[in-house]
Amino acid sequence: MKTLGYFGTYGGVYVPETLMPALEELEASFLVAKDDKGFMGELGNLFRDYAGRPTPLYYARNLSRLWGAEIFLKREDLLHGGAHKTNNALGQALLAKSMGKKRIIAETGAGQHGVACAMAGALLDLQTEIYMGEVDIVRQQPNVQRMKLMGATVHPVTTGSKTLKDAINEALRDWITNLGDTHYLLGTAAGPHPFPTLVKFFQSIIGREARQQFFDRYQELPDYVIACVGGGSNAIGMFSAFLDDENVKLVGVEPAGHGVHTAKHGAVLSKGKPGCLHGMKSMVLQDDDGQIIEAHSVAAGLDYPSVGPEHAYLQDIKRAEYVSVDDKEALAAFNELSRREGIIPALESSHALAYAKKLCLDLKPGSRVLINLSGRGDKDLAEVLRHE
Amino acid sequence: MSKRYQTRFDKLEKDNQKAFMPFTVLGWPNKEESLSIIKTMIESGASALELGFPFSDPVADGPVIAKAAFETLESGFKTADAFKLIADVRKLDAEIPIGILVYYNNVLAVGVESFFKQAKEVGIDGVLIADLPVETAEEVLPIAKANDVDLIFIVSPVTTDERLAKIATIAGGFIYLVSRLGVTGTDKSANNLSNLGGLIGKLKNQTPLPICAGFGVSSKQTATALLEVGVDGVIVGSRVIEIVRNAKDVHGELRQLFGELESSCRETKAKASTI
Repeated sequence: MKTLGYFGTYGGVYVPETLMPALEELEASFLVAKDDKGFMGELGNLFRDYAGRPTPLYYARNLSRLWGAEIFLKREDLLHGGAHKTNNALGQALLAKSMGKKRIIAETGAGQHGVACAMAGALLDLQTEIYMGEVDIVRQQPNVQRMKLMGATVHPVTTGSKTLKDAINEALRDWITNLGDTHYLLGTAAGPHPFPTLVKFFQSIIGREARQQFFDRYQELPDYVIACVGGGSNAIGMFSAFLDDENVKLVGVEPAGHGVHTAKHGAVLSKGKPGCLHGMKSMVLQDDDGQIIEAHSVAAGLDYPSVGPEHAYLQDIKRAEYVSVDDKEALAAFNELSRREGIIPALESSHALAYAKKLCLDLKPGSRVLINLSGRGDKDLAEVLRHE
Repeated sequence: MSKRYQTRFDKLEKDNQKAFMPFTVLGWPNKEESLSIIKTMIESGASALELGFPFSDPVADGPVIAKAAFETLESGFKTADAFKLIADVRKLDAEIPIGILVYYNNVLAVGVESFFKQAKEVGIDGVLIADLPVETAEEVLPIAKANDVDLIFIVSPVTTDERLAKIATIAGGFIYLVSRLGVTGTDKSANNLSNLGGLIGKLKNQTPLPICAGFGVSSKQTATALLEVGVDGVIVGSRVIEIVRNAKDVHGELRQLFGELESSCRETKAKASTI
């Protein structure tokens, strides 16, 4: 490999031997594609004409009045597919095509990445198979139906916690077995190198657009940029454009589930320990023996016991701060945005909203807070109603 | 190469025999029975042992071994229990080489230095870390060496020549040849023996280490076929777990399987034309 993709002490390549040639091939293809005008031109066209980029930057007038700060939403919920996952799925599916792959496989938690892959697979004529935990299949039925409608096969995963981490395990096993004709379209900025770098590359459009849109309108940058963090792809996509803007505070919001002092949460960056899972070194929820502890969140897309390695690094060097919000606070934010702005947010994104509301209590009036509204919440209706 | 592997492989070579290496998950189905299964392996003429530490997320393993690992962890089995169990195995046989299969996070959680120190103390000769490729193995190699424990590496049919050369320079014990793409299991459909012959030839040019093949070895036929293309030993794992899970007479059936594999390792000679 050209590099091993470390962010400080995190990242790297920790996979079974059989996967190494596939990762080498992927890294080489990515390095060519990202500087290739033809590839990037085609991706740009798809982003614009197929997915609907650029997505709007919306000034949330009612929330701003109620919360006492200027609240801006980057509307990734308006992206085709209903979440930021489309950026990465289109990018990697094009890459898979360029490598001559015939088949893509993917894991999905909330189902948004699965839907994005099903879209990309249908569009680019790639056989698409999605691994999804049995528990997630139950709580995200509409997305399962959408994937099937677009021609993807959905494999229920019945091992372990039957959620996202186990879906990743199954996808990795499939890839180890079929790497000749198959690309593993990993959905978050985690896993072995080159995935964290490659997923950030395709998601960085979020931050680039938002920064430009903000600057064009106000000739200034926001004081805070807030995003939810499960694996961390929407957050790293948003943060990446602001890393050099020292005055912009970056905040990642993890799921506290039932509370960080209970056994049921997904606050990996505050409660985890450095470890190795799914091909990378990062922070991991684990016991003293290094056995992985199941994460919990009302938001299936945040239900992951590790996190992208760059977030662990940004926390270490104190460039970003990571906080957590529990299920109840996220559900309240879900309702509040729906009622006040007429926008139904994904439960994942609701975590970022819930933290922003708390943060506003301590901010000077006029402070500018940019929130990445990473997805829409239609998929979550049944789950939310269950909690009411 | 650590002393026990060296002595054992030298003797096998002198006797013109191949190595038969059975695998099981430590602590499964429980501590007592696990020790008893390993005892049967030794009594059946195992050349060396391959013992797996259970991990919650074993991505290199198929459903058979993964399920056994989950059950073992659910029973409360800890890393300390695995070391204790190996110490008991060592009491049964002072000379048999003991290799372990472990995932990296289990090593990191204990601490690399502490893990290898304990490994040496209980009599482990080789450690294969399933998710530590040669690219990142430098993290543990000096510590393994300092404790006189061999780091064992996997080579697969898709390992490139460049990486093969790197593996050959740092590997100890033996080369674990994955005979087909995929995870552990008894499905043998994907074995492509004609390609393996070439790979074995390349490996033998680069390393004096014995080459032992695993993944998909489930019977005398599969073992014999691999030995005929020139491997120096075979590793059988998932089939052992299947027998323990399903057989009426577990130890009887294990003895029968081990007996067949052992005789295959004693009798089969490589077909010169395939190397």
